[in-house]
Amino acid sequence: MSTVLAGHGLIKKYGATTALAGVDVEVGERDSLAIMGPSGSGKSTLLHTLAGVIRPDEGQVLLRGERSEMGVPPAEVPQPSAGGAPRGRIDNLGENRLSALRRKRFGFVFQFGQLLPELPAEENVALPLMLEGTPRKQAVARARRWFAPLGLDGLEKRRPGQLSGGQAQRVAIARALVVEPDVVFADEPTGALDQHTSTEVIQLLTAVTRESGAALVMVTHDADVAAHCGRILHVRDGRISSHSQYTVG
Amino acid sequence: MRSSVLPLTWHLVRSSGRRGLQSRLLAAVVAAVSAFVLLMMIAVSLGSGERADRTAWRTPQAAKHGTAIEALATTFVRHEPVTVVSLAQLPGRKATPAPPGLSTFPKRGEVYVSPALAELMRELPADQLADRLPKPESYGTIGAAGLAAPDELVAVVGRAPSDPAVSKAAEGGNWYDKDRTARAVVAGFSSTEPSLFTGLDQQMAVLGVALLVMPVIVLAAAAGRLGAARREQRLAALRLAGATPRQIMAMTAAEAAAVGGAGALTGALAYAVLLPALAEIPYGVGGWYTGQLWVGLPWFAAVVLAVTALITVSAVTMLRQVATSPLGVAQQANPRRTRMIRLVLFAAVLGYVLFTTQGGQLGARQLVALLALFYGAFWLFGPWVVDRLGRIVGRYARRPATLLAARRLSDDPSGAWRTVSGLVLAGFVAGFFSVSQLQFGGPEQQGQVAVLTADSAATRRAAAEARTLLREAGVTATVTVPSEDDFGSSLGGSPGLIARVSGGQAQIDTAMTVLTPLGAGRLPFTQDYTNASDDVALDRIGVVSTATLVMSFLVAAVSAGLTAAANVLDRRRVYGLLRLAGTPLKTLDRARARETALPLAVLAGGTTAMGVYGAFQFNKAADSTMNASGALQLAVCVAVGTLAMLTAIGASRPLLRKVTAEPTQTAD
Repeated sequence: MSTVLAGHGLIKKYGATTALAGVDVEVGERDSLAIMGPSGSGKSTLLHTLAGVIRPDEGQVLLRGERSEMGVPPAEVPQPSAGGAPRGRIDNLGENRLSALRRKRFGFVFQFGQLLPELPAEENVALPLMLEGTPRKQAVARARRWFAPLGLDGLEKRRPGQLSGGQAQRVAIARALVVEPDVVFADEPTGALDQHTSTEVIQLLTAVTRESGAALVMVTHDADVAAHCGRILHVRDGRISSHSQYTVG
Repeated sequence: MRSSVLPLTWHLVRSSGRRGLQSRLLAAVVAAVSAFVLLMMIAVSLGSGERADRTAWRTPQAAKHGTAIEALATTFVRHEPVTVVSLAQLPGRKATPAPPGLSTFPKRGEVYVSPALAELMRELPADQLADRLPKPESYGTIGAAGLAAPDELVAVVGRAPSDPAVSKAAEGGNWYDKDRTARAVVAGFSSTEPSLFTGLDQQMAVLGVALLVMPVIVLAAAAGRLGAARREQRLAALRLAGATPRQIMAMTAAEAAAVGGAGALTGALAYAVLLPALAEIPYGVGGWYTGQLWVGLPWFAAVVLAVTALITVSAVTMLRQVATSPLGVAQQANPRRTRMIRLVLFAAVLGYVLFTTQGGQLGARQLVALLALFYGAFWLFGPWVVDRLGRIVGRYARRPATLLAARRLSDDPSGAWRTVSGLVLAGFVAGFFSVSQLQFGGPEQQGQVAVLTADSAATRRAAAEARTLLREAGVTATVTVPSEDDFGSSLGGSPGLIARVSGGQAQIDTAMTVLTPLGAGRLPFTQDYTNASDDVALDRIGVVSTATLVMSFLVAAVSAGLTAAANVLDRRRVYGLLRLAGTPLKTLDRARARETALPLAVLAGGTTAMGVYGAFQFNKAADSTMNASGALQLAVCVAVGTLAMLTAIGASRPLLRKVTAEPTQTAD
């Protein structure tokens, strides 16, 4: 399994608090990684650093390492510098390039509130494609393809407020996957759901992500949810305290 | 049981941190500005009325058992009007009371002048002004009670009953004498008819206020929305902790009322403290006596309470969702649809307004009432238009920014309407005033000094004398005697002579002064005198329109900026997450701008057209022609207003950048 995303020696501090104290992590193709840990352990900081939302104070984040077939314009992935900095490094990109990278290569699922309340479900899903310049009709058509696999048939025209929590999260999953990303980042994706719905959503998220060929990096505090992932990283005081590996069907 | 609402509200306010304090401070500042502007508008309206009342004593009111003759005359110096009141006690009659501003009735030969006139008389050579009045041993001073404004030029002259200045010849009677020259036997000074130079001030001020009040109300309401998102978050948590909807409402109301009340009171106090400075701002006959701009305690208190109430109601309305559902705004299930009845009501009101204005003869009160009705109708109609616009644009939008803007419009048409309503209504003001700059036709009589005489024989004698007097004074002029059927001259067909003066205004003022003795009871006059009523109307409309336009656009731009900032804060989570997922800031910004620009283009265009129509009716009522340069002024106004609005929205871009920059600044 080749590495899609890697973080090396990641350090991040907020004032006197060290959120990440030298973390190394790698995510492979179709890999699913759960990051667990108590509150304030640095798990969300790790996810956001890997996703290029937060810049580490030290260390590097590499997307597809040395490989050149990232699909993003070469300008967005720096070439090796004179000092020998590796290709694919994303932590030092400018804000605009990072935004473009997140939009094109990553998908995001959050606990709640990521859907625009005034857009119907299908337009929420189509939005990332439209932002990339796909014509609206085509974008909506592509978005609709995700509704049946995610059990959302018939809900295309509904607004987020007219969906249940589980349905809204499935729309968010569709939105994350519609751009065919390399990695889907999920931050407590089932945190606002009841246990039954939570299980449904996490099963869908892991299955559909794997089928689409993307890797999944998920932060959760729920061991049952984490158990659906192939690997679990336990983070404590900004360091990886343990690493478990499962075989997920 | 003692209510826990107030202590808890106070505790939450204190512990809300810097950002909470900032939004409250901003809301308080807006409340202060709203109260200040409202008080100023009321002050100008009431003060104009009081000023007009103070001039009424100069209009002679005939009494059955009169005791004195009062003659009103008007002359101009440097294009400024000088009111001359001649008084003569009739022999054998009861003593006439002193006119306002004087301690006694003036005796023959006594001359009282206003402080401003005294100063001008000192500044100008005697043959340009002072010599138009009798020369007393010393001048008395007219007190404030007899003056409309400190800058007013007024003289009171005590004369003998046989003096030509109080004779029948001083009655006037030509079309151009109306409200400028009059004479009657009076018993006192109880007339209620204000002078020509103050009579229109209040009407115009009230019209300006009527046009401005709505944008100011919108501004105050926008203040109530500031910090709504933060309150929502906090109060939603309280709801989950078991607070009842009533408690939530009470806490919101208490906080908004405290912030709004403190702001409104500060604004009101600023108005009171700044009164002396505000009194220096000229309107009509000049600056003000400070007391004239004091609205009185009832109005003072009413404005503070009204602004506080507006902000409170606005804040409580914003929180209705939280109060009814603990999950608050996240449960925004059904967009509020606007109904067709709004269109029907608007059409009905518009029809009524059009029908009522057909006659063209409308009083100021009717006009204000119609304006209020029109505004009310637009308040119903605006959201309906925004909703339809959102749906239509949403159907055809290709770009994400346009789609987002369109969906936002149809999702919350009332909110979008609130953002643009100030400028939309300002568009009406712009449309109304830009083309209602009245233009009156009339013969050009530049440089002509007219002297009225008793008859043709007197005219011939006077003409010869005039040539001598003008030559001796060094004034280059041609003296002619128009025929009595020449209605094109300044004399308008009355017997008299015309001196065509070469040179500037100083020469004309000198000619008027040296020719004064020839008038036999009437002061010489120029076109300043004959055109006075039109000039006053034009001047007041010009001043009020400029002030109203500038204020409207300022207020509208500020409220648009505030609403835009409040919207960013309201939607900070969704904006933050969108940006985190890679949505460019530019797209979010474009969507926000289009959210405003789309309804603005449609609605402001509509109201501007309405304003033009209103101005047309107004001009028709005033029997004047439309201003040709108005179209250009209108275009400039709309362009500046739109630019100001977009700049105000753009001003919240740093806020958007800040709230979306790093949505997860925690150590977790």
